[in-house]
Formats: sequence, C-alpha cells, structure tokens
Amino acid sequence: MARMKFLCDADRCIECNACVTACKNEHDVPWGINRRRVVTINDGKPGERSISMACMHCTDAPCAAVCPVNCFYTTADAVVLHSKELCIGCGYCFYACPFGAPQYPRVGNFGSRGKMDKCTYCSGGPLADNSLAEYAAYGANRLAQGKLPLCAEMCSTKALLAGDSDMIATIYKERVLKRGYGSGAWGWQTAYKETIAT
Amino acid sequence: MLIKRKSQDAARTRLAGLAGGLTSGVMDRRTFLARSGLTAAGAIAVGALTLGSVRRADAIEGPQPGVPVTIKKNICTHCSVGCTVRAEVQNGVWTGQEPAWESPINRGSHCAKGASVREIVHGERRVKYPMKLVGGQWQRMSWDQAISEIGDKMLDIRAKSGADSVYLLGSAKFTNEAAYLFRKFAAFWGTNNVDHQARICHSTTVAGVANTWGYGAQTNSYNDIRNAKTMIIMGGNPAEAHPVSLQHVLTGKEINRANMIVIDPRMTRTAAHATEYVRIRSGTDIPVIWGLMWHIVKNGWEDKDFLAKRVYGMSEALKEVEKWDPKTVEDVTGVPGAQLERVAKLFATEKPSTLIWCMGATQHTVGTANVRAYCTLLLLTGNVGAPGTGANIFRGHTNVQGATDMGLDVTNLPLYYGLVEGAWRHWANVWEVPYDYFVSRFDDVPAKAGRAARTGKQNMEVSGLPSTRWFDATLLPSDQVDQKDNIKAMFVMGHGGNTIPRVPGAVDGLGKLDLLVIVDPHPTNFVSLHNRRDGTYILPACTSFECDGSRTASNRSLQWGEKIVEPIFESGNDYWIIYKFAQKLGFATEMFKNIELVKGKFGDEPSAESLLREINRGGWSTGYTGQSPERLKAHMANQDKFDIVSLRAPKELADIGGDYYGLPWPCWGKPEVRHPGTHILYNTNLRMMDGGGAFRPRFGLERNGETLLAQNSWNLDSPIQDGYPEFTYAVFQRLGWDADLTAEEKATIERIGGANPGNVSWATDISGGIQRVCLAKNVCPFGNGKARAIAWNLPDPVPIHREPIYTPRPDLVAKYPARADERNLRMPNLHTTYQKGAVDKGIAKSFPIILTSGRLVEYEGGGEETRSNKWLAELQQDMFVEVNPGDAAQRGIVDGQWVWVAGPEGGRARVKALVTERVGPGVAWMPFHFGGWYQGVDQRGNYPPGADPIVLGESVNTVTTYGYDPVTGMHEGKATLCQIQAA
Amino acid sequence: MRSSLRSLVAPLAVAMALSLSAPAIAQQQQQQPSSVNPTASSVQERQLLEALRAGTPGTGTTLHGRITIPDTNASNLIQPQGQAWRSVHQGLMHWIAAIAILGMLAVLVLFYLVRGKIRILHGISGIRVLRFSAFERLVHWMVASCFIILGLSGLNVTLGKFLLPQLFGEGVFATFSQWAKYAHNYLAWPFMLGLAFMFLMWVAHNIPGRIDIDWIRRGGGIIGSDHPPARKFNAGQKGIFWAVIIGGGTLSLSGFYLLFPYYAGGVLGGQFWNIVHGVAGVLLIAVIFAHIYIGTIGMEGASEAMTTGEVDLNWAKEHHSLWVEEERVKASIHPQAPQPAE
Repeated sequence: MARMKFLCDADRCIECNACVTACKNEHDVPWGINRRRVVTINDGKPGERSISMACMHCTDAPCAAVCPVNCFYTTADAVVLHSKELCIGCGYCFYACPFGAPQYPRVGNFGSRGKMDKCTYCSGGPLADNSLAEYAAYGANRLAQGKLPLCAEMCSTKALLAGDSDMIATIYKERVLKRGYGSGAWGWQTAYKETIAT
Repeated sequence: MLIKRKSQDAARTRLAGLAGGLTSGVMDRRTFLARSGLTAAGAIAVGALTLGSVRRADAIEGPQPGVPVTIKKNICTHCSVGCTVRAEVQNGVWTGQEPAWESPINRGSHCAKGASVREIVHGERRVKYPMKLVGGQWQRMSWDQAISEIGDKMLDIRAKSGADSVYLLGSAKFTNEAAYLFRKFAAFWGTNNVDHQARICHSTTVAGVANTWGYGAQTNSYNDIRNAKTMIIMGGNPAEAHPVSLQHVLTGKEINRANMIVIDPRMTRTAAHATEYVRIRSGTDIPVIWGLMWHIVKNGWEDKDFLAKRVYGMSEALKEVEKWDPKTVEDVTGVPGAQLERVAKLFATEKPSTLIWCMGATQHTVGTANVRAYCTLLLLTGNVGAPGTGANIFRGHTNVQGATDMGLDVTNLPLYYGLVEGAWRHWANVWEVPYDYFVSRFDDVPAKAGRAARTGKQNMEVSGLPSTRWFDATLLPSDQVDQKDNIKAMFVMGHGGNTIPRVPGAVDGLGKLDLLVIVDPHPTNFVSLHNRRDGTYILPACTSFECDGSRTASNRSLQWGEKIVEPIFESGNDYWIIYKFAQKLGFATEMFKNIELVKGKFGDEPSAESLLREINRGGWSTGYTGQSPERLKAHMANQDKFDIVSLRAPKELADIGGDYYGLPWPCWGKPEVRHPGTHILYNTNLRMMDGGGAFRPRFGLERNGETLLAQNSWNLDSPIQDGYPEFTYAVFQRLGWDADLTAEEKATIERIGGANPGNVSWATDISGGIQRVCLAKNVCPFGNGKARAIAWNLPDPVPIHREPIYTPRPDLVAKYPARADERNLRMPNLHTTYQKGAVDKGIAKSFPIILTSGRLVEYEGGGEETRSNKWLAELQQDMFVEVNPGDAAQRGIVDGQWVWVAGPEGGRARVKALVTERVGPGVAWMPFHFGGWYQGVDQRGNYPPGADPIVLGESVNTVTTYGYDPVTGMHEGKATLCQIQAA
Repeated sequence: MRSSLRSLVAPLAVAMALSLSAPAIAQQQQQQPSSVNPTASSVQERQLLEALRAGTPGTGTTLHGRITIPDTNASNLIQPQGQAWRSVHQGLMHWIAAIAILGMLAVLVLFYLVRGKIRILHGISGIRVLRFSAFERLVHWMVASCFIILGLSGLNVTLGKFLLPQLFGEGVFATFSQWAKYAHNYLAWPFMLGLAFMFLMWVAHNIPGRIDIDWIRRGGGIIGSDHPPARKFNAGQKGIFWAVIIGGGTLSLSGFYLLFPYYAGGVLGGQFWNIVHGVAGVLLIAVIFAHIYIGTIGMEGASEAMTTGEVDLNWAKEHHSLWVEEERVKASIHPQAPQPAE
C-alpha cells in the first residue's frame, strides 16, 4: 500500500487559504475548528514563506503515543486517524503534536474540550466508509472513493502535494532541480524522521 | 491495531446538529430550504461562534450516499482568472465541490474564495425576499408589489427630473448577457448614466490601453505568462487578488528560471516570491517607468526594429523621459538608480517580457497616464504581440471584462461602439428599433452655469456620470451637474457601496435620494450606511451560480456557466428582474422583440442563449460575433482538450478543432466562419485564421505628416504587405473585393448604409460579409496600424508625473502639480483646489503617513458576499491597518491593538493595528473589503434581520479622499495621507 | 518564533533553553537595500529547526509565524518540543511515578516489617481527648476523598491504558476514562476548597519551630521508642501538612492552567504545567501513602483522631505531650473542655 504524506512546497505557497476553505467545504468543518491552516514565517520581510499545515500523519505518531485511551490508529495507507467514540478530549495529543493539528470544539471551560477533531487526510474515521454517520463525525471519505485530500487537489499553485510519499518527493525534487532553489520539505524531518535530499 | 471499528452506538458520539438532519433520510430541495434559510436566526456574534460546538444546526448539507450526482460547471465569481467550478448536485441541492481538473485555466485549483463558493448558494445570510423600509423598519413584500412601487417612483422621478436622474449601477458579477441587457435597458430608459465596477478598478486601463494600440484589454493571457522570461508585476498583488494566476506565474518563473520583479509600495505575498522587489512611493509610477526607460534608452536596449515598424510618437515620449535621470527618480520615487538600471536591463534584454498590473496602477488621479506609461515601456522594448510578452492586466471580477465589453459604461454602447450617432444607429439596426425612438427617450438639458443647452439627441451622445461621483451629483447644486437635474434615484444591481472613497459624502448622498433600490444576493453597504427611513428597497437577486450565461475572463476568453441550482429563496435572476422592470416601465415589447423567452422560476424570462445570439449579431467591433452559445458549450464540454500554454485545441478535433480556449475576443465573423479567437492580441506572427492581428489604426491615418499605419509589418502571409486602414465597403469596392460578398451580404450593406453604403465598415456591417472576406483574404478587418506613444486626444498626451493630491512631498507640488481644475464627465474635477488646499493647510505634517489600500485573498470587492461566507469570514475577522514597526513604536501601538486611522478630509476609522514590515516606514495599508462600521459605530442593526454579514468592519474609504482621473473619473484609491493613533 | 521563558521544573532541567532568534529573523531591515531578492533570501526550514533543537519540554521556542485566525496557538507552525514532551510523558514520567509510588510502598512494607506497629507504650487509658473537631474532620475527609479519586483518575490518564483496556475492553475503558476525566476536572474544585480550609485551620499549628529540630533529631518516636515532645502537630505531621499544601497548591495551580489552557501561555505552557502536574501528583501520592500508613496500620490509636475525632490520653501524651499540656491549661481556665469521655 501507499504511504500517504503531505508536502507543502513553500516556494509555491502564497497563503491563499484555498486549502483551508476547501477543507471547510468538503467536511463542513465548523467555525473555530481549523483542520488546516497557513502560517507565514518572516511575514513582510524578504525571505517570507508561507506554509500550509495540518496533521502530517506522522510515522510513530506522538498523538497516538500519548493518548490515554488509545483512540488513534494508523490505516494501511499510513493515515493516522482516531475514534471520536473513544476520545475523552484530554488534550494530550495537542501537547504532543509538533504541528498543532488537534482541534477541539470548545476550549477554555473546565477542560471539557469535546471530542478532538483533526485532519483525516480526507479518509473519514472508524465508521462505515462514506456513511452519513461517518460524514457527520469525521467528514467526507475521499480516499475510499479513490480521491486525494481536497486541500491539495484545490491548491491554487500546486504548492500543497498529497499522495504517495515517493511520488510527491519525486515531484518536489524535480521542481527544486529545475528552478534551483527550495526552502525544504517543511515538517518532514519532524513528522517522518527523514527529509527530501535535493 | 485498530483499523475499522464496528459501532452499534455511533449516534452517541455523533456530533450534535447535523446528524439529526442526516439521519432523517434523504435531503430533498424542500427540506433543504425549510431547514436552511428562513428560520435562520439573526446576528450571531462572532465571539459566540468561536465557542460553537462541532456542526451547528445550520450546517451545510453534505453529500447524500446513494443519491445520483449531477455535475454542473460554472465559473467562480471572485476574480477574473475564470476558474471553473465543478459542482455536484443531488436532488437539486449543491452538495459537493470537486476540482475541475479539465479546465486549462485553473486545472482544478482554487483560492480561498473559489474553494468556498458552495456556501454562497447555501446562503445563510442572503437576502431571502423583497423588502422595503417603512418608517425605518424592514418589511417583507412581494416581487410584484416591489416592481410596481419602484417602477412608479422611477416614472415619477423621470417626469420631474428626467431620465438622467435615475442612476443605473450595474455589476461585474453579471453574465455577459445580463450586462448587455442592463446596458440595453439604460438605452431604452434614455440615459448614459449606467456604470459598473470597472469604473473603480480598470477604467483607466481600458482607456489607456485602448488609446495606445486599439483595444482596452489584457493582450495575452494568464497561461501565456508561462512563456515569459522576465515579468514585472507593478501595482498588483495577484497572490491575494488572483491566486490561481500565480500557478502560471510561478510555473513560468520556475521552468524558464524567469526574472520576477515586483514593484510595489508594499512587500506583498506576491513580492515574497519575486526575484527582485522594488519598493516605491505610492503614486510615483510614471517616474519609475520613465526612470526605467531612461536607462533603456541610455544603454541602447530599446527594440529599434519594433519601434520603426509598429510605434508612432516614441520620440515625443522620450523627451519627457529625458527629464528622469536616476537622481531625480530616486528623489521622487525612493528607488535607487542601480536597482532600476538592473530591472531595466532585465526587462529590455531578457525577453520576452511582460508587464502585469492591477489597481495599484489604475486607481490614481493619473491612472490613465500611468497605464499609458506602462504601455510605452512595453512598446519601447518591443514586448507586445508575441507569446510571453504583453500587457497582462489582471481584472477583478468574473466578468468585469465582459461587462466592460458589454458597455456597462458611461462612455460606450455595447462592444465599445461610442455614443456617436453612427453607433446608436448600428445598435438600432441590431435591435430592429427605430433610431428616433432612442432620441425620444433622452432628456433635453437646459442651459446651466454658462453651458449651452442640449437636445435629447445631443444628450444621448454625451458621456454619462461616473459612478465615483454619484453622491456629488446628488449633493452639489444642480447647476454644477451637467444634466437636467441632480441624481434622485440609485438603482443598484450587484455593486457595493463602500468601494468608492469619501464615504461620509456617500452617507449624505444616500440621505438625499428619493429612491434607493438594491438588487443583490446580499444587502450591500448601501444598506448599512444610510440613515433612511423610507423609499428604500432590497430585492433578492440570485448569484451567478444560479444563472446560465457566458463570462469573459481577463484574457478575453468566454466561458459558459451553467445554472447549478435554481435560485434559492425568493431570489430571481438578473434577466428576469430586468425584464420585469422593462415591462413595468413600458418598453419590454420593443426591448425583447428578438429575444426568446423561456419558462423560468417565476414565469417567462429571457434565455441567456438568445441574448448571446443578439450580442453575436451586433458585436462586430470587438469580435464578439463568433462565440455562439453552441461553440462555448462545446468548449466547456471539452476543456481538457486545450493546451495549457497555447490554450489551443488540436486542429483535428470536431467542434473545437484549432480553437483557442473560450474563443478569446476578437473572434471574427459569424460562428460558422470558425475563427479560433485571438489568444494574443496584435500578433503579426500568425495568420488571421490562427488568431493573428495587428495594432488597430483608430486614431487617423497620419499626423504631422507621419503615417499612423504600420511600416514593413503585417500579419503572417498577408496579401497586403504594408500598413493599411480599416476595411469599409468603399475600400472593398476599390480593391474589387466586393465581388466576394454574397448578394445577401451586399443587400444588407446597402440597406444599412442608406445613402452612403461606402461608409459601412467591418464594425457596422451586420451581415458579417466584410469580416468574412477579410478573413478569407487573411487581412485584419480593422486595418494594420501603429501603436502610439503619444495620445494627443487625452489630457497629458505624454504622461507626466503629477504628485498625488494629498502628497507627503509638498515640496514637489510646484514642480509636479496636479491638473488645473476642470470639468469631466458632467462633473467639476477640482484637482488643484484640493491639492493647493492640502499644501496650504500643511496636511503632510499633520497626516504624515501615506495610506494605500488593496485586496485580501479571503474577501472581494466591497466584501458583503464574502464576509457573509462563514468559511471565509472566519479567516479575517477584523478590519486592520498595516503599520510599519517604526511608526507603531513611535505611536506606542502594538500588534493587534485598536487604533484610529484619520484621513485629511475628516473621516476616521477604528481598526486593529497589524504591525508589519510589509509596509515601509511612513506607509500604512488597509484592505478595502470591510463595511458595516462607520467611524467607530457598529451598524449591524441597519441590515435586514438575518442578512447581516458575519464580519463587519470600517471601510477604508471612510478615510480616503478626493481625486479623480480626468479621463474616466477613476478615484484616487492608492495614494492619500492619514494619521494613526492608539484608540 | 515565540519564546516561552519559563523557569524549568527541577527534575527536567536537562538543558536550559536558549532564547533563540533565528538567523532569518535577525535581519532588521533599516533602509531599503538596493537589492532585494526575496527568492534567494527565503527562510529555510532546516536552519530554523536547527535553531530550535535546544528546546526542552515545556520551554524553548516554536517555529512561529503570522496567521489571520484569532487562535494564537495556530500560529505555531512546528513545535518539536511536543516530541520531547511526549518522551517525558511516556518515559520519564512513568519512571518517576513508579519510583515514587512503588518505592514508597516498598519503604513502608520494609518499615512495617522492621518496626511493626507503633503501640501506645502506656496502654489505653480510656480517657478520650478531643483532637479534631467535626469541621476539621469534614475538611480532612473532603480533601482526602477527592484526592483519592483525583489520584486514581490522574494515574489512569497516564498509566491506565497499560492495564485496564486489556481487562475490560477499549470501549469500557474509554467510557470509564471519560467519566474519570469529568470526575478529575470537577472534584478538583472541592479539593482546592478543602485545601484552602486546611491551610487556614492548621497553618498556625504548623509553623516549624526549634522543637521540631529536636523531634527530628530524636527520631520522632518512630525510629526507636523515644517520644520527643510535640505540640498539636509534630514535625512529621508538619511535613505532611506542608507537603499537602505545597503539593496540593502546585497541583491546583498547574491543574488550573490545564483546565484553562488559554491562560497557560500556549502549547509550551501547557506542556510545562502538565509535567508539573504529573510530577507533583505522583510525589504527593507517595507522601500520602506514608500518611495513610502511619495513620492506620502504622500506629496504634492514630486513626481515631480522624474518625471519632477523639484520641486516647496516653496516646496524646506520648505523641503530643505539649499539646496535652496546652489543652489542660485551657481546660483549667475553661473547665468545660476537654471533657473526658465516659
């Protein structure tokens, strides 16, 4: 099976936030939950770069390691998912996640954050594929329909790549080779303990 | 390891709200409407939303398993790139949005706005039914009653004050067909006071570019930028305003290792990806361009061959350029000479080079002159009329190009036919309505303030009043307004109220109107700003996604958009609304005599297809004749067949073979001639039937003894190997080409020519014969002329630098003064009075910060539509001003704090500070999409309940100031002054 | 980058965090340089990450940028400290818990085997002395019962998953953990209230004095059979008191930040307070084991103080001779108290 990953080519990313609203649109993610976001480093200075970030579906995922109730699981496509039935909303995954991916419907009152919500790599959750219940709890399951995450599919400049690790790494490598610069495969070292040699 | 978990208890953890709707079975249209709209509660404060639980009760309907999916394609409405939106419709509800991989323009991509357009047609915050103000309260009413009441008031105003007193403000969100219909409506009503957003975005581009080489449009395309070796993006931030265009720009940059130079007062998201960023002072574009040209000429980098063959008057322009040595340029613009020289060298020598611009160039009192300076730079370096070159003008709305083409403009009839008698007669021919009918509809204007009186016929040939001045035309003494009476009514379809400077003036103007009609999917700022209690109507128009028709992208490609779903709530489409008003006002029979009516939501409505056919029948001047609905639909069905760089389909294909995508105008001749459209304007390297062309000789044949026709330049394989003028029947007769016309064509020409058939030209021959023969002979119908570097018919024939009215450098005003006070487009234009006043009052000392404005990626235009979209609104929740860290520190302002931004004319705005180095010291920048707050006061209560946008904020235009371009009435949106203080 | 300057919790002071300013940030642009090539000067992830590596859990910096949504946490692009926190939480934390709790149990068992139950040397006199009022006992038991549930649910959230799901199944365990979490969050409040009362009631009796040094030097009657004099609370009990007040206070403060993460100073603050909470929790649990031991099977006659509230006079004389004296003096002034029990 494929090893699914995200890769944001920051030299293409223009902080247009298409990935953010595509995600909202596809899963009807409510206000206040940001499964994906775009962060701009060195804003306004020469050298500024924007990076679209969501759950990176880490190898040896920290969220899964610290979860007190083992609600995380990794699919055959190496997508890290979780069960909202099991989640107790403790917030530990948020402390552990290097990418700030876990989101909670409520923050601040007595720690009752509600069930954690995060990027599913558009592949739903533990309920039946493409069922109404799965949509309601986790959003659409594009992977089960043979489609990739909508954020990457709709990326305005094709900065955000999703797909099999080897394929997207090759695309990125070729780009860097062709254009002669590349600020790095943001998050790869942290998430996958490897980076793309260019 | 847990892989899939069977659950008997899924409902327990299912998130509240949506589940209820979903488990109740399959959603059909009726339940969708019942659930989504009319029950929606009023304003929910943003603060409360942030704590909202997962999936609120008003969640948008998601996909329904097992229900058949219909795919509908339409075009995103939020900029001019023309991204295809691929909608999945189930049971008449838009339940999903998929990437349109097949579109050669966006290849599946969207920006934040495009990726969230589905929400617009869910429409939680839309206007749901017609309403009027009764004693300050919004009251629901029926369409019939609304049309009847409004029509009566319009007729009443017409009787008292004249047709010109009703201002018809249209929209760049219109389809071509609706824009055309609205312009036609104005002609039948009897006014030239009909305008739309192009006035405030690219009117100066259209004027400047058309006056340089013939047509006022982008010469190449977004895709063609992939061919450029050097690009200058000046006064534009496409990364936010046209994000999908960056796909082409950045790919071009990468594959060609192209130079990407951004010239802007602000280090934008676009500049972040540049290979060279040049920071300039706002309002000094002409010195920068002349500075570049100074280096080019000094080093002999100009394209001498191109200049000799295809350009008139460059030597006159260069006389002005001589004054701009590097030292002077640096003093005025702030750009060091060495940097400009490097940029000049790249642009002139690493070709092909393209110049991309947006509203940073156009929204100035010298907007038209700016644009002509840009064009002159392109001409000097021979960068027009070939792949990878050209003036790539990025426009702002889906169809702002199309609406401009359709003549939603105070100076044109549709397709750039002027307001002269011949043009009126042309359209009277097309419409098959007697010319005299139109003469009878226009006001006689009495003599006022020393100006002579005008008859109706004279009045119909006088340009109307630009939308930027509507409130001045309401408020000023009647003798200042060069028409029968002041503006008494605003009839606004799809246009924001906060996008024009001097909002305090607009507030006063709104108070003085007898009638205010807003036809829009969302209540615009015209609603929130006013202090009216009666005589105000809101009618729910549907969005572009609920409407069939063609849209013209910035690159002149037409794309057919399908109605995705029936208009939601009680909204109606533009065709029907205009038709109903024409009926009420008594000219529907004449106006719609050749237009097919089909069964629509509320009964008979004009069909988009038949409207486009009528446009095809009249659009000879601009080549809007070949784009039949059938051809456009074939293009949409075969989008994947077009090449991504050349935009051309392989020749062997049926229906679309050899066509350029969207048949970019000019697409000459009748549809059956199968002209492929023109991807790159003025391209002499191609045959006419491959999209070739030449500069259009529309300014005469010679001047001062020098020819204005091309010399030693012609389109590929042209039978006439020299410059030549436009083709008329008389020219045909002289060449003996009239023999190639059919008897039928000849008869038509004789008929419309009357006593003088020789004058019937390629542009007025509605038989299409002249164009057909021109194409067959491989000559350009409009002739083969030179572009001109001097536009002798315009103010400042060669662009000269003029300091902004509110300049931070009053010391330069004596040397570079604004124009003398004058009258343009029915209104006084007091450049000098204001500039002198500002200098005398020492405004630059008390308001030391330059204020400029621009777009955010999340919002568009006045922003009511996008600020009502919860997926977008969440991303920008507060109006802000960008302040340089140095200026902020001086004022004790920290990032995120509330500040007051005060303008020199008294307007002030309470906004959040965003402390950033995007702006240089002494510069502030504000986005222009906000509204709903006015000088610190939240006006949420002015909106009809439930239709208030989620995010409100101060409009930048509360602070911006006086200043209008003399040619088009464009406002000064980019260079004024302000002061900022902690609030 | 955001710098979270927070003093380190002692056991974790592996390395002091550097307050970093990444190279790309440092270039404060003064005047427009004549050449600005944004592409060539773009920030590199590698450099920024290298600059971050010194961060320890709960401290240091994150790779931080600008974002338009109001959630300030969202502006952290990458925070590798999350992984450091993970390794502490999943590694060191387990060891600390194991050593503290199991170690204390082992010590107590050993102590019991060696010392056995501490008897009342002079036997039971039959005269009862009121040691704790009903209110004092109420407060004690409120705090105690809350603490037991808080401790168990707290241990569950860190350690439960190693045992309980295997016994009861994941679904039951998750439901139990959910309720345990609610219990933890809500019982924290009566715990804190009781803690406050305890402090007010007993702080006066718990000010350390010279007598305590003597008590400690003489082994407090626990080691050996000597019974050094003590007032209402001997040094050992004072130790428990202050352990409870300081440990409980630390738990309360850190717990408050965990309940209200917006006040915690972002994700790094959350990590820091989480570790503080965990360490303080297991240490206090260990201390309370000792407390329970000595109050029950470790010492004859001790448990009654918190059950009936009355202790035997001989017990009191042996363990709190000065307190008995004080009470006697008081009783002679106010003869109605203390009343010998019948």
